Amino acid sequence: MPTFRVSRRRLALTIFGVFAVMALFVVRLVDIQLVQAEELTKQASVRQNASVVTYGTRGSIVDTNGVVLADSVDRFDITASPKIALLYIDGFTRKNADGTTTKVSLTDAISQIANITGSDPQALYAALTKDATSDYVNLVKAVKLIVFNKVKALNIPWLSSEPHPTRTYPNGAVAGNLVGFVGTDGPQAGTELKQDSCLAGTNGTSTFEKSADNVRLPGSTVVTKPATDGGTVTLTIDSNLQWFAQQAVANQAQAVGAAWGTAMVVRVGDGHIMADADYPSVDPNDRNSVDRYSLGARSFTTPYEPGSIMKPATVSGLVDAGIVTAATPVDVPGRFTDGLPAGSYIKDAFAHGDMHMTVAGVIMNSSNIGIAELTKLQSEKDRYANLIKFGLGSKSSVGFLGEAAGTVKTPQQVDSITTVTQQFGQGMTATSAQVASLYQTIGNDGKKVPLTLVQSCTASDGTVTYPTTGATTQVVKASTAQSVREMMETVTTQGSLRNLINIPGHRIAAKSGTAQVADGNGYGKDYIVSVAGLIPADKPQYAVIVTLAKPATIKTSAAAAPAYATIMKQVIKTFRIQPSTTAAPFVPVAW
Amino acid sequence: MSALPVTAPARPRRSPQPDATPRRHLEVAPTRAQRRARPRLLPAVITIGGIGVILLAQLLLSIVLADGAYQISSLQTQKHNAVLQQHALSETLDLYNSPQHLAANAEALGMVASGNAVYLDASTGAVTGTGTAAGGSLLGAGDQVSNVLLDGSMIVTAQAPTTTTTTTKTSAAGSGPTSGSSATSSSGASQASTDTGTGGAGQAPLTPGLLPSPTTH
Repeated sequence: MPTFRVSRRRLALTIFGVFAVMALFVVRLVDIQLVQAEELTKQASVRQNASVVTYGTRGSIVDTNGVVLADSVDRFDITASPKIALLYIDGFTRKNADGTTTKVSLTDAISQIANITGSDPQALYAALTKDATSDYVNLVKAVKLIVFNKVKALNIPWLSSEPHPTRTYPNGAVAGNLVGFVGTDGPQAGTELKQDSCLAGTNGTSTFEKSADNVRLPGSTVVTKPATDGGTVTLTIDSNLQWFAQQAVANQAQAVGAAWGTAMVVRVGDGHIMADADYPSVDPNDRNSVDRYSLGARSFTTPYEPGSIMKPATVSGLVDAGIVTAATPVDVPGRFTDGLPAGSYIKDAFAHGDMHMTVAGVIMNSSNIGIAELTKLQSEKDRYANLIKFGLGSKSSVGFLGEAAGTVKTPQQVDSITTVTQQFGQGMTATSAQVASLYQTIGNDGKKVPLTLVQSCTASDGTVTYPTTGATTQVVKASTAQSVREMMETVTTQGSLRNLINIPGHRIAAKSGTAQVADGNGYGKDYIVSVAGLIPADKPQYAVIVTLAKPATIKTSAAAAPAYATIMKQVIKTFRIQPSTTAAPFVPVAW
Repeated sequence: MSALPVTAPARPRRSPQPDATPRRHLEVAPTRAQRRARPRLLPAVITIGGIGVILLAQLLLSIVLADGAYQISSLQTQKHNAVLQQHALSETLDLYNSPQHLAANAEALGMVASGNAVYLDASTGAVTGTGTAAGGSLLGAGDQVSNVLLDGSMIVTAQAPTTTTTTTKTSAAGSGPTSGSSATSSSGASQASTDTGTGGAGQAPLTPGLLPSPTTH
């Protein structure tokens, strides 16, 4: 059977051939799939894979009612390729919507872009022709969507665009001192910086295969890293009240020629800062609107000698220790010299002979001599401890950027004059926030609730975190706080500012302060004046503190009183505080 | 496929052998196994047809998928544009919502701040609180709280000449809520002439400084 053998040999040859070819294929396959895989994948992905950065949007800052104070917005940079543009030096053919075509020259196209974006056509032309070999030039930066869409509709072949997310502050300077701002290198001030960990989003990347015309191939997306949006920071601020307070403090500061001013409204029950106005105040949309010292919140960063507005703290300590009551008689001479170095004396703002005041009268008349006399009744150590318990000398729980702690001199540091004067707010310093915290404590029946500016952080997945503030402390007894408030009510009803600060129908406990400003060579002619009030006096809900620095025309607390009264009236309206139904108790101020 | 031409020429060689015998017309009846082994047309057609159909279906499927990809791409672009549009609109809305814008518009329309709040107890009819005259202009000398995003074009009645006189009058009177009653009555009057309300509505704004407040009890 030779033929059969021949055919069998042929078959074997064929099969061998087939297997040889297959073996070649397998070798090649292994080579491609395993040996060169990495290199080839890299080459391929460059050609057909697109990797895009997905942006995590920075979260917004809202007020307690959800009004947006800071938000991320879409802006677009109009970019161009000079290389391609110069290919179209004679113009390009634009297809119109109705099917017709128009020839558009380069200069026409440039002037059209300039028209829409409001930029200088000369500058655009210069940018385009500066480097003819370049493939990229940023023509117009950060245009709004409406402008961007108009530019896109021009159908200019050498134009492209890139997203340029930016930050906007729709309420302008309202709470600008607290919100802060974001610069080109990231957050630079205020809540933007302090709460950056909550606000910042993280960018993600996703890769996909694309077709020749850049359309994503079905099912090819691989999300390498998902983008997460930033969280929303909710402040305790009421933006409408904040605007009103800023308006009021700015008006009054300008009327009396003050260098700066602050106004705070604090809800006494939980220490929430409802408004914290600063004058001057930055508009975060325009950082150059104020000098660099006014970019933050002076209410936190600038300690000053607060003056008589501290007297209720001293009196609280004395009442709480059971040393005095509101009716305790005090002999107030025309000058206080006891224990002071020779030649030194403490006087009151008004000249007087020997006066018979009660402790309430010392508050009502804001008598420095009266407080000085009272300091004799309590040890230096106890008086110091009392001021420290009210939070003086240490930063508030807000931890505002650049917050100051103020100074209270310890019994070891203190000299014979300061030991007396720091009991009425001279020779010690405090920030507006610390003064607000003091009045919050007196208003809240002696319970000091840490001041809160940031209410919560709501992450993009909806989880809400509340910042940790310190513990609530009982600084003085509830009865002490009530007694001090009754003394302070005499300031509203009988004090020298009564016509400016009394609001008919409402019982308000108030205290003014007119503090001399030290200028290196002792005390000069400048004052820091302030008025603080608690409404309603019998069961306080809100504390209002207005401070003006170095007023030029009126150098007493009467300078701050109109702004205080304006804000207090607005607080009544905003929070629907009902008129008092009981009369103020009789508190004797003299004996 | 190369196996076929190799075996085919072998047949003629084998065929002369049966010619030697007289029974040339006899054929070997195929066994059942041989019959079964013979290629049958129908299954082949079905198989090849099936493969064809599958290939075609796959082709159509990938055409549809690719088409869908374009559709997804276009819808995603649409969605992206819609989101951008929404962002742009809410940005404008937030700006309109700013206190500066609201206050400027309210005052341009002749509105004034209210005086002290007075409460009426519905169960007893008792009125608590001390009313005061309307508070006048809040903006006074102008808005002290700057907002560079706002420009005058957003004020609803910016074209009405009366609004400018209101502002200057109030600024001349100084700041504070008690000073604006004379200025606000002029703006109220001008507003009443443009705003022809029905019934008594046109009457009330004539004297907004003297708006009745329930303090007569």
